[in-house]
Amino acid sequence: MIELLKLCGYSEQEIESELPRVEKAFDKLGITVEDIERGKQRLTKYYDVGLKGVRKSLRLVLRELVDALLARDEGKKVIYGFMAPGFDLLSSALVTKSKDVCSVHHSWAFQIVVGCIFGKIVPILEEAERRWLKAGMVAHCANLKTLVGPMSLGIYPKPDLLVTAGLLCETSPKTLDLYRELYGIPVWYVDACQDRTREEYPEPSMRVASSAAKSLKRLAERIQEEVGFEITDDMLLEVQDAKGKLGEAFNRIRDLITSSAPLPLSPAHENIWMCLNVLALSIDGIAEATEAVNTLYEELQEKVAKGLGVVEKEAPRVLATLPMGQTDPRLEYLACEVGIAIVATDRNLEVSIKGTSEDPYMRFGIGMQIGAMHMPPAMRIPLIVEGCKKLNIDGVLDRYHVGCRAVAGDAMLIESAINKELGIPVMLLEWENFDPRVYKHEEYKKRLEIFKTIMVNRSS
Amino acid sequence: MQEERLAIHLRERPSRLKEAKNKGVKIIGYFPGNYMPEELIYASGAVPLCLINGGESRPAEAALSIVPQVICPFARAQIGERLLGENPYYSMIDMLVAPITCQHLKKVAEVWEYNGDLEIFKLGIPHQHNNDFELAYFTDRLRVLKDRLQAFTGNEITDEKIYEAIGLYNRMRELLRKISLLRRTSPSPLSALDFVKLNNASFYADPVFMVDFLDSVYHELKDKQQVAKTDAPRILLIGPNIGYGDNKILELVEAAGGDIVIEEICEGIRYYWNKIESKGDLIESLARGYLVDRVPCAFMRYSTRQRFDFALKLIKDFAVSGVIWYELLCCETYDAESYFFSQKMGERNIPVLILESDYGTVDTGQLKTRIEAFIEILRGVME
Repeated sequence: MIELLKLCGYSEQEIESELPRVEKAFDKLGITVEDIERGKQRLTKYYDVGLKGVRKSLRLVLRELVDALLARDEGKKVIYGFMAPGFDLLSSALVTKSKDVCSVHHSWAFQIVVGCIFGKIVPILEEAERRWLKAGMVAHCANLKTLVGPMSLGIYPKPDLLVTAGLLCETSPKTLDLYRELYGIPVWYVDACQDRTREEYPEPSMRVASSAAKSLKRLAERIQEEVGFEITDDMLLEVQDAKGKLGEAFNRIRDLITSSAPLPLSPAHENIWMCLNVLALSIDGIAEATEAVNTLYEELQEKVAKGLGVVEKEAPRVLATLPMGQTDPRLEYLACEVGIAIVATDRNLEVSIKGTSEDPYMRFGIGMQIGAMHMPPAMRIPLIVEGCKKLNIDGVLDRYHVGCRAVAGDAMLIESAINKELGIPVMLLEWENFDPRVYKHEEYKKRLEIFKTIMVNRSS
Repeated sequence: MQEERLAIHLRERPSRLKEAKNKGVKIIGYFPGNYMPEELIYASGAVPLCLINGGESRPAEAALSIVPQVICPFARAQIGERLLGENPYYSMIDMLVAPITCQHLKKVAEVWEYNGDLEIFKLGIPHQHNNDFELAYFTDRLRVLKDRLQAFTGNEITDEKIYEAIGLYNRMRELLRKISLLRRTSPSPLSALDFVKLNNASFYADPVFMVDFLDSVYHELKDKQQVAKTDAPRILLIGPNIGYGDNKILELVEAAGGDIVIEEICEGIRYYWNKIESKGDLIESLARGYLVDRVPCAFMRYSTRQRFDFALKLIKDFAVSGVIWYELLCCETYDAESYFFSQKMGERNIPVLILESDYGTVDTGQLKTRIEAFIEILRGVME
């Protein structure tokens, strides 16, 4: 256990003080001695834990999970968010103000620790499938299964409030509705209409932004009732400014990665940063995260200067759609093994806009419209095409999360547009971002090898 | 005789619409779900046409060249119909109003928007209306739509025209409701297949004709001599969608000796339980009537309890002894909700059969067997 915690960036002193809590949390997760051994192996295999910045980042992820699992036992008010953009903003403000509140995104840290590190997510998914998210062709989102599974198994305590957003899906709100009806858990939804049109692009729709802002503000009011203190605009602006610095730190790393050959870090790490960005970190915690990312940047700079990387220098450069496997790093690891450099994902592609707002809620409403993944194909696809040109991409790994109709529905259009406009190879892959059972090693290996061969032949 | 009159009207409808189109009348399509006030289109002098073809596998399969299978068969069928270009309704529309309801139909609108060969208005449907700003949002969007329709058709949409349109569609809803309520008697004076066809037809037919036709049907059914009592189990059909032509389940139930006496369907069945107020600000009335004063579809927030209570009311009012839950493959929202319904119906000893379809034929045998077994169970319960 101690060795595992060290790999996750815990200091000797912290291990001494935190070990009982971590053990208690792991006990709730059903983590055994064998799991810990496997966790150590997976950490060293899939993540560059030799880098201090990676370890520091993992520490923040694990710390949040432990805090969340023990929140009720430690007498805290418990608020969960699930697939709820904007919730992390409120959460950071809450935990900065009060130590008596645990307000966390339910799944991100859980997925990395239980899925990516311990490789134990499948029983969780299966539990959800025994409820209302059955397995099979209906293709319920496995992300949602990582909400329902742990709640049904009693791993997570019953929250005082459960929050989601209907900004990209109805299935998560429906699940919360069922929690409300079946278990009496109070729920709340952040919503905005998804009716932005091509004519409004590239600028964000102020209509949509305003609607999302109002909805998030109502959530803030509801949470205030729950926690008994006010969430002021100043608190939120402070969080947004701190997160802005964290975002800049991420961007520096991404710029370094996309401009370096060989690829200095496996794309599997991308999820840790994505998770860091939505953890319920206090202002101090955000500073810690920023420091972790800056440390990693310096370490990567050194690697780049020495010409060290995870693939050979000439590896074809690939842009992948969607974030990396959220509960399983094997596909990204395999891509590196095969010799493909996944240098970016379309999650990082954003449109430049003229400005933002002084109102923290409107900032949220505007910000949620600038990323490719939140756009309809008429906007998302041009961003991907431009991104490929800008990043000098040799091929696109066009994988689609089968559980998400919003993104899955674009995949074939993306393939067609890339073929037509850029003429570079596209590997279309139906998969599930949150379900390791879809990973088929031999098939994926063969397909990635062929994909690489086509890219190499084309460029030569 | 009545059937023949409707059949002739529907047969001639495409050519009549083409004639109107040649004279400059705009044909405006929209997607089902009953969140799009067609009164506005009608008031603009354009012809509202709800795109509801479904049930056939060919269009749904044609769409697989553009979207994956996780997009539901009905949504895929809408893409496929336009791709195949064989259905006159889908080829003749000048503009699409796409109410942004579920992710599946939203994706259809996005695919069409991406293709860029048709003017599209995305009508944002707030998925909840507990907060004041959500109804205001919808009302504002309807005002923008009104402006857009005026510009597109070149016709002014006056309050008088909206008033007239509300009156016409209220009459249609009222007649469908009255016909539906006749089905509370046993035996029901018309089969589910006939009622669904009638209801489906109301989306394609000329509304003035349809009102006249429904009026005749209502009076004919009202005066119809009741035949001897039947032992056919009375069934409530719940689900996301019954497209125009999606008759397989209805036919199988009828053949197995079941009697679907009432439907609670989001897409494909015109919602007829409430009327639109025709006083005050008529755009606000439309917004309220279409968003708030109705039983929500499953994708709406906080909808499960309201939907379940409504189903219980239908079960009581229509003396239902069992529920068939008919969902299309990959309709994740209704699928999740079916868990709740079957559990809560079970607690009340109301049998529920959950069926899925992808419009293919390979599952027909299995569906038939399951439906027959379910009818047997219902008969057993009735005894």
